Amino acid sequence: MAPDPDAALMVAFQRGDASAFRALFQKHGRSMIAFCHHFVRDAGRAEELAQDVFLKLHRSAARYAPTARFRTFLYRIASNHCLNELRRGEYGALRGGAAGGDGSPAAPTDPDALAGPAPTPEEHARGAALARALQELLLELPEKQRAAFVLARLEGLPYGEVAEVLETTVPAVKSLVHRATVAAAAALAPFLPEGA
Amino acid sequence: MSPRTWVAHPSEELTAYLDRALDPPDAARVEAHLAGCDACRAEQARLAAVSRLLARAPVAPPPSPTFEARFHARLASERAGERRVWSGLLDRKSWRWLAPGLGAAAAAAAVVLFAGPGRSRPVDDAFVASHLDLFESYEAVASLDAVQSGEDVDVVTHLGELREGKP
Repeated sequence: MAPDPDAALMVAFQRGDASAFRALFQKHGRSMIAFCHHFVRDAGRAEELAQDVFLKLHRSAARYAPTARFRTFLYRIASNHCLNELRRGEYGALRGGAAGGDGSPAAPTDPDALAGPAPTPEEHARGAALARALQELLLELPEKQRAAFVLARLEGLPYGEVAEVLETTVPAVKSLVHRATVAAAAALAPFLPEGA
Repeated sequence: MSPRTWVAHPSEELTAYLDRALDPPDAARVEAHLAGCDACRAEQARLAAVSRLLARAPVAPPPSPTFEARFHARLASERAGERRVWSGLLDRKSWRWLAPGLGAAAAAAAVVLFAGPGRSRPVDDAFVASHLDLFESYEAVASLDAVQSGEDVDVVTHLGELREGKP
């Protein structure tokens, strides 16, 4: 396994280097917000959850063994935390409607956050509609499927790492990701090219 | 060795194939099947299209400007709370009745802590029980200079067992 610079930062933090923890936060904070956002679809709550993840990371630093890839360790904390959050049922009320955390309609997607060059108004509207459809899809997926789908399809983790994060097997991940992708193909059909 | 073809449609393998998550022999089997199966080629095209769509899906909004500052405020608050709890806890002395023989008696102690009627020190017990999660890391506790005696060490090193109710 290639040297993991984040693992080295975590070890430095274990030895008392607070700046190493700050570096990890600055490096992964934004991606943790994005990850949590896939679960709660509310920007403010996603930030809170991402902060919770780093608080847990801070508390559990002593348990980190540098044999584990840091990203895997972090995503495991984040996945467990987000799934627990979903199990609390707070977000059940959002099912069936693309709503923000306060029940209001989902905020339009930040154009700057869209991949690629600045979108035209039509592309922006289409992007917002896609975001709502994706939001509804994610809310409908069973929790394990959602976690595997987010990690593999949206975060780009390889199946082996997803299996480590979710503490399951690669064949199980393969099945979870496939079922979620089939569901996505159905839910997002209006956004797919003709004939796909 | 020529790859075997699939008896049934390799539905679950198609996504993994697109994600390059199959071993070479399995990938070769999928390719061989796709060469002769219109239905699976159409399904593969549909899954590939949705994968491409998701790859350019909108991402989360950027963090608010105060995201990092708020986090550090929460962290500082939590650590200050830990220090207060530890300071108060180790000052109480009365909780040290937990220490002798804690490893062997952890299960019984847990019953006393969490469920036991007739508790002699309900306030301290509840206090300890509600904060056990803060104390399971010896390193964290020691970093607060709260461990001052062998008795403290003994208690801290067994708190995890107590919290999980292990004997």
